[in-house]
Amino acid sequence: MVNVYSHRHYDTDKQLFEAFTEKTGITVNVVLADDDEVLARLEAEGDKSPCDVLITADAGRLGLAKSRGLLRASRSDVLNANIPANLREPEGYWYGLTMRARLVAYNKNKVKPGAITTYDDLTAAEWKGKVLVRSSENVYNQSLLAAMIAHNGHDAAAAWARGIVKNMARQPEGGDTDQLLALAEGIGDVAIVNSYYVGKLLASTEPEKQKAREVIAILFPSIGSFGTHVNVSGGGVAKHAPHPAEAIALLEYLSGDEAQTLFGAGNKEYAVKTGIPAPLELQAFGTFTADTLRLEALGRLNADAVKIMDDAGWR
Amino acid sequence: MTGTPRSRSSYRSKGLFPLISLIAVLLAAPLLVVITSPLHRAAPEWPHVLGTLLPAHLLETLVLLAGVLLIALVIAVPSAWLIASFQFPLRSVFRWALVLPLALPTYISAYAYAGLLGPTGSISRWSVAHGGPRPDIVSLPGLCVVLALVLFPYIYLPTRAAFMRGMRTQLEAARLLGSGAVDRFLRIALPLARPAIAGGALLLCMETLNDFGAVKYYGVRTLTTGIFRSWGGLYDMGSALRLSMVLLALIAALLWIERRTRKGARQTTDQVPGVPVRLRGTKAWFATGWCSLILLLSLGLPLGRIISDVFATLDRPVWSDVFPAFGNTVYVAVLAAACTMGIALLFTYRERHGERSDVAIRVANLGYAIPGAVIAVAVMALAGAIDRQGWMSFALIGSIGLLTYAFTVRFLAVGTQPLYGNLRQQSISLDESARLLGASPWRTFVRVNLPLLRPALLVSALLVTIDVIKELPLTLVLRPFNFQTLSTTAYELASIEQLREASWPALLIVLCGAIPVLLLEKLLARPLR
Repeated sequence: MVNVYSHRHYDTDKQLFEAFTEKTGITVNVVLADDDEVLARLEAEGDKSPCDVLITADAGRLGLAKSRGLLRASRSDVLNANIPANLREPEGYWYGLTMRARLVAYNKNKVKPGAITTYDDLTAAEWKGKVLVRSSENVYNQSLLAAMIAHNGHDAAAAWARGIVKNMARQPEGGDTDQLLALAEGIGDVAIVNSYYVGKLLASTEPEKQKAREVIAILFPSIGSFGTHVNVSGGGVAKHAPHPAEAIALLEYLSGDEAQTLFGAGNKEYAVKTGIPAPLELQAFGTFTADTLRLEALGRLNADAVKIMDDAGWR
Repeated sequence: MTGTPRSRSSYRSKGLFPLISLIAVLLAAPLLVVITSPLHRAAPEWPHVLGTLLPAHLLETLVLLAGVLLIALVIAVPSAWLIASFQFPLRSVFRWALVLPLALPTYISAYAYAGLLGPTGSISRWSVAHGGPRPDIVSLPGLCVVLALVLFPYIYLPTRAAFMRGMRTQLEAARLLGSGAVDRFLRIALPLARPAIAGGALLLCMETLNDFGAVKYYGVRTLTTGIFRSWGGLYDMGSALRLSMVLLALIAALLWIERRTRKGARQTTDQVPGVPVRLRGTKAWFATGWCSLILLLSLGLPLGRIISDVFATLDRPVWSDVFPAFGNTVYVAVLAAACTMGIALLFTYRERHGERSDVAIRVANLGYAIPGAVIAVAVMALAGAIDRQGWMSFALIGSIGLLTYAFTVRFLAVGTQPLYGNLRQQSISLDESARLLGASPWRTFVRVNLPLLRPALLVSALLVTIDVIKELPLTLVLRPFNFQTLSTTAYELASIEQLREASWPALLIVLCGAIPVLLLEKLLARPLR
């Protein structure tokens, strides 16, 4: 048996847990809840916690869990071989399992493909009133800004946030999918969104989303010359895990070919394991260079990012 | 409580009082954890929260509160008056149907409205395609309308009850003196119903203040989103708890206003229901039209969207998840409602017949004023401390027992509020007569107060049941392994932006909530003893 606390509410995870049970005979028990509440539960349970594996949807929260002593270091050659070093914690406290890129979607009819190459380009005067982005409550906006602070410093990141607010097509509302639908309706020309929402939209059979497919293209902006911002969804073994061996077995399975392929096919996420193709829907837009920033930085700088957004008036 | 009979002699049944106090302390404990936290918990980001975050979030909170309250009053009070005083086509349907929006969780209605009238909603796109404007309900004013449309039954229910009972004599007298219908409404019914309206408005305000899903999706900044921003964004639980205190202070202010509103309100012992007057011609059609419009906007449109989404996702295997979730939802709702109502009755008894009111009961009633997720953290902190001792072979966290306890902490005020309101309307002379005849306080309560409490008791039970069915943050984090309810299922799908699939559990939540509503209406329709 292995007990999982997870923020990931996806169908793919359910399928993967079932497949894991079939393969190993180990039952997977799950509590799904949001990252912060899950961390609070782990903290309250202390050494009596039944949790073996903690899975979050944000590297920042994994760093937080480690610094609060909720995770333990584990060694696994399989995990180390499957997951690139910058996408896991060096001592094995947590491992990235899937990757999401914060990219720019644009209206093909209005924007030329080469018009934007960096996130900074979005703050140029020509995009005034044309940038769609969701609220700063969203963790992926926060982690994008945290990555900018890590690379370019606080002031440059603050200037970027102010520039985005100045260029917004409307006050932030809705989720990433809503930004894409707004793009198709001509409410803005460019949208800052997560890769897997683009993938899901492009794969959707819903009528209004199919219309969006026809006008939307994506590009991979870079933070300066550092590459496209990525965050990971990942997991670690809980500090007081009653079944640590099973926990590692589950993480290893999730980093293996079968699971990594399904994360892409089912949930349109990028695999962390090299050699696994990108989700079909996103392949057409070419490959990208991901920022190789050590992701611990995202957690460390998250609060600074939020403060910058508050100061910039990014709702 | 003014005018409570003071029992100076000792009765055996007073033995219940220590037990009641003990229960109150147990329920107040997590709230005490929250209230005392600013004293000992560091809040490193507090200067930023106080200087930048709080002003913006507080302002929008107040605007939202005022907007929702105003619109809900305009919807609820005239509707309650129409239903209570007049007979018109379809009245018997509207009578219960106007309570049904309560079964719709705010975030589900908010998503549905965004899908219709958001910038890319189906009605908006239709409008633009035909050369019209592009409406955008996904904004602060839009949210006021959406929330008011879902939450107005909190005011409608008690107000209608007040209009139906307790003012027949006055209204008859006014009518005989030649006062018109509008005049009777404004000068007699409205002032007499003021405590009921205020009580309902208080619940509505608390619901609005604690809303998270709808507010977040509409990009509105409230104290509740501020709490989550401090906690999850700034990684500063200390500041989040301080913001909870600000929220609590705001609710204390509302409670104070509600008390002031109640002050000077006349008590009435008239329990005879009035006979509705038959409306004819245009007046009748106006009444039917008004109620139809409210019903269409509050229930018809969002439910229509949900049902069309259900049909659009018929091929998806959502059923297998939804059935067990349905069973679990009914299970926890019944458990929590029974527990909450039992305790609410004990507390009501204690407040009516105790010499002074119990401080712990006051504190225990604050649970409704604090966001569910904050209560969850406090409950886990307490239960975790017990679990870590290892006295028991099982753990509290992740048990149905703790989940039920947390629901009771959270929704106790919903259970007690209608009961207190009703007791205030019961004349003290009833108690005094019973006591003079030698009945103990407990016997007086059971034989005299309780039968008169029946309608309020049903309202309480209904509100608690529906609240538990819709509840999210407590269930989400305190639940056992592999335990799904309808609202967790809907939330999981909505949070990954699969709004269409979320329509399945959403529809079942409404159906689930409709059962207690219909039950209530049937029971209330029976004549009082």
